[in-house]
Amino acid sequence: MDSCSNVIVRKVAVLGAGVMGAQIAAHLANANVEVVLFDLPAKDGDANGVVLKAIANLQKLEPSPLSVKSKSGYMTPANYETGLAVLKECDLVIEAIAERMDWKLDLYNKIAPHLHPQCIFATNTSGLSIEKLGNGFPEAMRSRFCGVHFFNPPRYMTLVELIATPNTDPKLLDGLETFLVTVLGKGVVRTKDTPNFIANRIGVFSLLATIYHAERLGLGFDVVDALTGPIIGRAKSATFRTMDVVGLDTMTHVIKTMADTLPNDLWNKYFKTPVWVEELIKNGALGQKSGAGVYRKVGKDILVMDLALRNYRPSAQEIAPEVEAILKMKDPREKFAALRTCSHPQAEFVCSIFRDLWHYCAVTLDSIANTARDLDFAVRWGYGWAMGPFEVWQAAGWSQIASWISEDLAAGKLMTNAPIPNWATDKNRKVMHSNEGSFSPKTGGMQGRSTLPVYKRQPYPETLLGEKPTYGETVFETDGVRLWHTGDEIGILSFKSKMHAVGNEVLDGIIRATSEAEKQFKGLVLWQSEPPFSAGANLAQVTQAVAQKDFVTLEATVAKFQQASLALRYCMVPTVAAVQGMALGGGCEFVMHCTKTVAALETYAGLVEVGVGLLPAGGGIKEFALRASREAKGGNTFHFLAQYFQNMAMGQVSRSAENAKELGYLKHSDVVVFNPNEILTVAKTEARAMCEAAYRPPLRPRDILAAGKGAIATIKAQLVNMKEGGFISEHDFEIGSRIAFALCGGDVEAGTLLTEDWYLALERRAFMELLRTEKTQARIEHMLKTGKPLRN
Amino acid sequence: MTKQVQDAYIVAAVRTPVGKAPRGFFRNTRPDDLLAHTLKGVLSSFPQIDKKRIADVIIGCAMPEAEQGMNVARISLLLAGFPDCVPGVTVNRFCASGLQTVSMAADRIRLGEADIMIAGGTESMSLIPMMGHKVVMNPALFAGNENVGIAYGMGLTAEKVASQWNISREAQDAFAFESHRRAVAATQAGEFKSEILPYTVQESVPDFSQVSTSLKSQVVSVDEGPRADSTMEGLAKLKPVFAARGSVTAGSCSQMSDGAAAVLLMSERAIKEFGVQPIARVVSFAVTGVPPPVMGIGPVEAIPLALKMAGLNQSEIDWIELNEAFAAQSLAVCNVLELDRAKVNPLGGAIALGHPLGATGAIRTATLVHALQRHNKKYGMISMCIGTGMGAAGIFERILMN
Repeated sequence: MDSCSNVIVRKVAVLGAGVMGAQIAAHLANANVEVVLFDLPAKDGDANGVVLKAIANLQKLEPSPLSVKSKSGYMTPANYETGLAVLKECDLVIEAIAERMDWKLDLYNKIAPHLHPQCIFATNTSGLSIEKLGNGFPEAMRSRFCGVHFFNPPRYMTLVELIATPNTDPKLLDGLETFLVTVLGKGVVRTKDTPNFIANRIGVFSLLATIYHAERLGLGFDVVDALTGPIIGRAKSATFRTMDVVGLDTMTHVIKTMADTLPNDLWNKYFKTPVWVEELIKNGALGQKSGAGVYRKVGKDILVMDLALRNYRPSAQEIAPEVEAILKMKDPREKFAALRTCSHPQAEFVCSIFRDLWHYCAVTLDSIANTARDLDFAVRWGYGWAMGPFEVWQAAGWSQIASWISEDLAAGKLMTNAPIPNWATDKNRKVMHSNEGSFSPKTGGMQGRSTLPVYKRQPYPETLLGEKPTYGETVFETDGVRLWHTGDEIGILSFKSKMHAVGNEVLDGIIRATSEAEKQFKGLVLWQSEPPFSAGANLAQVTQAVAQKDFVTLEATVAKFQQASLALRYCMVPTVAAVQGMALGGGCEFVMHCTKTVAALETYAGLVEVGVGLLPAGGGIKEFALRASREAKGGNTFHFLAQYFQNMAMGQVSRSAENAKELGYLKHSDVVVFNPNEILTVAKTEARAMCEAAYRPPLRPRDILAAGKGAIATIKAQLVNMKEGGFISEHDFEIGSRIAFALCGGDVEAGTLLTEDWYLALERRAFMELLRTEKTQARIEHMLKTGKPLRN
Repeated sequence: MTKQVQDAYIVAAVRTPVGKAPRGFFRNTRPDDLLAHTLKGVLSSFPQIDKKRIADVIIGCAMPEAEQGMNVARISLLLAGFPDCVPGVTVNRFCASGLQTVSMAADRIRLGEADIMIAGGTESMSLIPMMGHKVVMNPALFAGNENVGIAYGMGLTAEKVASQWNISREAQDAFAFESHRRAVAATQAGEFKSEILPYTVQESVPDFSQVSTSLKSQVVSVDEGPRADSTMEGLAKLKPVFAARGSVTAGSCSQMSDGAAAVLLMSERAIKEFGVQPIARVVSFAVTGVPPPVMGIGPVEAIPLALKMAGLNQSEIDWIELNEAFAAQSLAVCNVLELDRAKVNPLGGAIALGHPLGATGAIRTATLVHALQRHNKKYGMISMCIGTGMGAAGIFERILMN
C-alpha cells in the first residue's frame, strides 16, 4: 500500500488549546500520533497550566473527543515561552488560536525561527484569508504554509477543508491530505481561498435565508426547526437549536465576517444579524452556554422565544398535517411539485429556503469550489446534511427546478436578482453527479474523483446521488445475504436486511458463505456497504414465532445462531469482520467469533439483549466465559468475568473501537482503522495475510475454567442489592441471574473444566426460559413498536 | 497463679491519625506498619515495663487478608521489635473488632491469667477493598428468602433502617453536617492531640529522567476526614447511592479510612509493680445480634445489655462514642434509646473522622479515655453496629489522676 510513502508525520504540534485546538490534539492522540499542545504560559502556577486545564476539560466533553479516557495522558503540554524548542521535532504544526489576523501573525513571528524547515504549517482558520496569513510567514517557508479547516467536534465531523496559497508546495498538500484521510480518517475537500471556504459559506447562507423567509412568512422558531430538521434530511438541531449550540455571539461574529469580507457578494445585504438576536445577546441569552438563547430550558420544559410576545413560550414544533404529508413523500420530484402548489405558508417556506439556497449555490459554485462534488460533500460532512444542495436539486429533477428558479427570478420572488449561470439552465443538463464524475464549472464538463494514491484504499467511498458503484461478482445471493468478490480471492459477505438485522435468511447465508469460502477463497470478509454493521437479531421474526407459540422453531433458530457463530470461528479460511457503526446483539456476537476484526474508530459494539428482556445466545456468553478463562491464566476467573457480566447485564455499548477493546467486545489484536472507507481494504489484507501465514482455525475448547456456583452467588448478591435499591426491576434481576448462571458455567464447582458446547447449551436454555416470560415478550413488542427499551 | 476476678485498667491508648481511603495520606502505607507504630508508641512512655511480660497482643481487623493478612497482630509486634516470646492474635468482629479486642484483653486480666495485655486494631481500606479481594458468596443465601439479607450491602441496610425508623433525608444531612462541624472544632481545639501519634509517611517517587526513586516524606498528625467546607446545601445536592429513591448519600455515610490504634491494659498488681498511672477502668462489654437487613440498629440491643452488666442507668453515662456508620442508623439508635445528642460524639464521628473498620473500636477507645480525663467526666461508652446484624457496646470509667 503506497498510502504512507508521501509524508511521514511522526509528531504534531497544535498551537492553541481552545475548543478546536484541544479537540484536534485529542483526535491526533486517538490516532496514536505524538502530539504537543501549546498555549500561552500561565500567569501563575505551572507554566503549562492553561494547556493542562484544557486537557482536563477534554475528559468532561460530550460526545467525548477521546476514543478512550487514557488518551488524554498522551498529549504533551507546552507553552510559547519555554516549550518552543520541541517545534524542531514536529513534522506538522497546526495553528488553532483565536480568529485575529494580528494575533496569528504575531505568533508566526515568534515561532517561525523554531520550526523544522521541512515541516508543514497549517492554520485552522474558519474565515481569514490563507494567502494573507501565509504572507505573514517568513518568505523561505511560505511553500510550507497552508490552511486546514476542521469542523467541531473534529473527532465526529468528517469534513476537513484544505486550502492552498499560491506559494504552497503541491506535494506538501498531497502529503497532508493523505495524512488527514488515512491517519485521522477525515473527508478532505480542497477549497479555494475564499471567505468561510465552502461549508460555512453555504451553511451560513442557508441559515440566513432560513431566518429571512421565516420572518417573511411569520413562522415561529420552533416550527422552523421542525421543518428544517431530519424531515428534510438535515441535522436534528435544525436551524435555531444549532444557533444556540454554536452560540449567538459566535454566530454574530461569523455573519459579520461574511459581511465584511464579501462586499461583492450579491446577497451581501442579507449578511446581517437580526435585531432580535442582538437583543437576546444584550440580555445575556447567548444560547446553550448561558442557559438561554432562542430556546430556554426550564425544568423539563423547553421554551422558545416568540417574537410577537417578546417572551418565551412552550415550544410546540407543529407542522401542518398537509405539509407534513408532502414532506414525507418518497419521490422528491413529486414532493417538490406538491410543495410548490401547496398554498400553506409552511410549504412556501420550505420551497423558498431551497430555491434561494440553490440559486446561491449555482451562482457561487465557480468562485468557491472546483466541482459540485466538493460543495455537496463539504455541506454533508460539515453540517450533517443527508444530501448536499445539488444532490437534492438533482433528485427533484434538474431542469424542472431550474425552470422554476428562472420563473421566480423573473417574477422578482428571489432574495436577489443575480442571473443564474447558463450551465444550470442548460436544457441538456440532467445531473450534477454521475459515474463519470461531478460537474466542474471551470471546464463545463464532468470531473472524476481525486487520483491521490490514498484513495485507492477506498474501493467504495461515500457516494453522491447519481453515482452507482458496482459491487463485484456474485457468488450467491439470497433474501438475506450476498456473497461476492472482486477477483482477488477474498469473499465478501454483505447482509441485505434493513439495518443489517439478523434473521433466518442471514443465518443460513453466513453458514453457506463460510462453506463457499473454504471452497474458493483465501478468506472471508463480513462487510456492509453502509453502516451499521448490524443492529442485531430480527425481532419481528421472533415475535411472530412467539405469537404462534412456536418455541420449537425458536429454539432451532437460536441453535442456528450459535451454528453461524461457530461457522465463522471454525471456518478453514480466516474470517474477518469489517465493522463500522453499530454492531449490536447478534451482530456483536458475529464480530466476536470472526478470526479477526477490522473496526472503524466509530464502532459501537455491544451485547444489548437485556434491553429486550433476553440474553446473548449466539455464543456471546460462551465467548466471554472462554475469554475470561484464558485471560485468568489459571488465576481468579471471576475477576475477568466481572466486566463481561456488567457489559451484558447493563447492555453496555462501546463509545469507540478502542473502548470496545477495553470492554472486551474486541480483542487487543483486532485492528482499528480511522477511515471507515478503508475497512474493506484492510480487512482483505488481514485475511490474505493470515491465509498466507498457514492459517488453521483453533480446536474447539474443552478446557474452559468455570467460575462455578460461588461466583453465581456473588453476582446474585450484587443483583439483590440493585433490586432492593430499586435500581433494577424484578425482571432485570431474573435476566441478570440467568446471564450469571450461563457465564459462570452453571451449578458446577469452581475450576471445573467445561466444553464450548456446555456453555452454548446453557445460553440456549436461559434464552428460551426468558422468551417464555410475559415480561420479555412485552419488552420485545415495545421495542418493535417504539424503538425504545421497556423497563418492566 | 490463683484465678480470680479482678479489674482491668487502661494505662495508655494511642492511635495514628485517620487517613481517607483510597486516595488519602495513607494510600500507600501498610496497615502492619501503622499498627507496629502504635504498638511501639503505646509503650514509649513506660521504659520501666519489661516487654517480655506482655501476655498477648490482640488486634482487630475486619478484612484480615493481603497486607493485613497472615495474623497481622504477630507480624506487627515483631516489626515493632517486641521480644519473640510475646504472642499475637488477630480477631474479626467487623466494625467492632477494635472494641472486641479491648474487652478480650481485659477479660484475660480480669480472669487473673494475664497482667499486661495490648489490644488494638488496624485497617487499610486503601489497600484492601471492602469485602476483600476475593468475594465468594455462599449459594445457600439465595436458596430461600430467610438469609438473603446477608447479601445486603451496608448502604442498603442503612436505607432499610431509614425507612423503617422514619429517618428523613434532611435529618441525615443535618446529622452529617454537625459531625463535620464538631470534628473540625475539636481538631482546631487540639482535642485529639494526646491520643494521636504523628506518623511519618514515606512514599517512593520515581524520577523518570534519572530512572531512580527517591523517598518523599510527610509527617501527618491530624485526621484527614473532617471538612470545614461542608454545608447543608452541598450535602443536599448529593444523590442517593444505594437506592434509586433512597435518602442515604456519600455525605451521610462514614468515610472509608486507614488507621490503627493500640491500648495498653494492666492488672492492679502490674500497675503497682511498674508504678504507672491508669487512666480508665474497663467496666462492661456486650455484643448481640439483630436481623442482618437492619444491621444498623444493633446498638439499640447492645447498649442496654452493657448498661445492665455495669449496673448503670443510661443517664449516668456522660460521654458516648457512637460509631456513625450511617447518619440514618445513628439517628435511629439515638431516637429509639432517647440518647442525649449533646453527649453523643461531642468531637464528631465517623462521618467526619472516618471509619477504618476493624480499627475504629480501638481508635475510639483512645478518644474516649482521653476525653473523659480532659473533660472531667466519669462514665463513657463506645457502641457500634456490625455488618451481618450485630451490635456491640463497651463502658469505661475514668480513673482520677493522682
